[in-house]
Amino acid sequence: MAKSDKNTLSGLVVSQAMRHQVIQLLKETSIANSINALIKYKVNALLTTDQSGKPAGVLSKTDIMGAYYAGLPIESPIEDIMSKPPLFCHPEDALDKALRIMHSQGVYRLYVVDSENKNVVGALAYPDIVGLLYKYCHDCEYSHIRQKNKSMPDSIQRFFVKEIMTSEVKSVLEDASLLQVMEELSAYRFGAILVKNRENNPCGVISKTDLALAYKHEVDSGAQAATIMSSPVQSCSADELLEDAIRKMIFSDVHRLFVYQSQPMALVGVISLSDAARIRSGSCHACVSSRIKLETE
Amino acid sequence: MKLTARDIMTTKFHTLAPQTPLNEAVKLFKQASKEEGRKIFGMMVTDHEDHLVGMISMYDILLVLRPKHTHIWGLMEDIDVAGIVDISCEKTKSVLVGDIMTPEVITITSQSHVLMILDIMIKKHVRRLPVLENGKIIGIVYISDLFYNILDRFAD
Repeated sequence: MAKSDKNTLSGLVVSQAMRHQVIQLLKETSIANSINALIKYKVNALLTTDQSGKPAGVLSKTDIMGAYYAGLPIESPIEDIMSKPPLFCHPEDALDKALRIMHSQGVYRLYVVDSENKNVVGALAYPDIVGLLYKYCHDCEYSHIRQKNKSMPDSIQRFFVKEIMTSEVKSVLEDASLLQVMEELSAYRFGAILVKNRENNPCGVISKTDLALAYKHEVDSGAQAATIMSSPVQSCSADELLEDAIRKMIFSDVHRLFVYQSQPMALVGVISLSDAARIRSGSCHACVSSRIKLETE
Repeated sequence: MKLTARDIMTTKFHTLAPQTPLNEAVKLFKQASKEEGRKIFGMMVTDHEDHLVGMISMYDILLVLRPKHTHIWGLMEDIDVAGIVDISCEKTKSVLVGDIMTPEVITITSQSHVLMILDIMIKKHVRRLPVLENGKIIGIVYISDLFYNILDRFAD
């Protein structure tokens, strides 16, 4: 591999980033009960199996949203709405390869099966990869968080939020119906959408989790966005370091931050944990160009 | 030795409704513990007709409050734990008991043998089992009651 192709994830394998706890449900489980598992274990998707424990499909919050949109009875079995077949990788696969599969297949999660007897031994999801990156960054001697406490001049070129963010902010008005919200979310493949009030100021966010809860609570899909949105809007400045933004997302348990330029009411972009994973490096150019100092068993 | 669920079950129990918000549920856990004179770690969830629809434990509530990336914190020297818990509680405000309860519940009858109860608790990793008769809840067996019933002879 050419030196310039290296990044923080080079040399790492799936087993170092995967989660060992795999949330799985029988495909006959009702949508209502599957929402409980998604909420309780804080996962965006779960594995569905048949009676013999064999993987049958994947149920994501996006599938749940589709069912809510279509007005499906919440007692329907999840096999009616799950995506199949599930996609797999192996514990010894390079993390880079797994990320490429995710990218080409348009998914955010792969299930990990051992090569010998094909048992599901873990799940590899985008946010976990970011978690791993953050860990390395934090331990790195060039870490901005470490350097804060020293008087060393900072000569490392760092990533800023504005370099990584998506500079388009889709939003709906607070009196839009949940049906409209779901249409916007599925058209743009976002996990969440900004809600603005009549004065055109951001006032909340609706995520797929909020929609799954609304479905479960039997909120009419014609209800206004304002009734289920979460507020306040979690945001950061475009001039903030990527490292600090990731830290903020990890600690406030959100998947994305809205980005402002000059003043907090004027949002100019979105940065998500997935964007951070996409650049496949920690948060500064130190990893990319020169140093690959990771222990790889 | 007492033989069946009827002999060891508690008939004084509290229940929660699926519509109860989690913060309210936490208060009710405390209240139930006080009134029953024992620490309550899990409760039955019933609908408006008193039918059992699920079980919820402290563990379920802790699962929801735990931020997703807890495993990274071990590395942090400068985290504000209180702040993180506040954020978590705020984010969990719209979650109700019915959203995180275990909806498929294993139940026993008053005739269930204590050794069968022991077997279920071990195999299914549960610490409390509702006792039903004709679809109606008549009591609950806690693992501690089972423990002392079987093992008091050990201590004597």
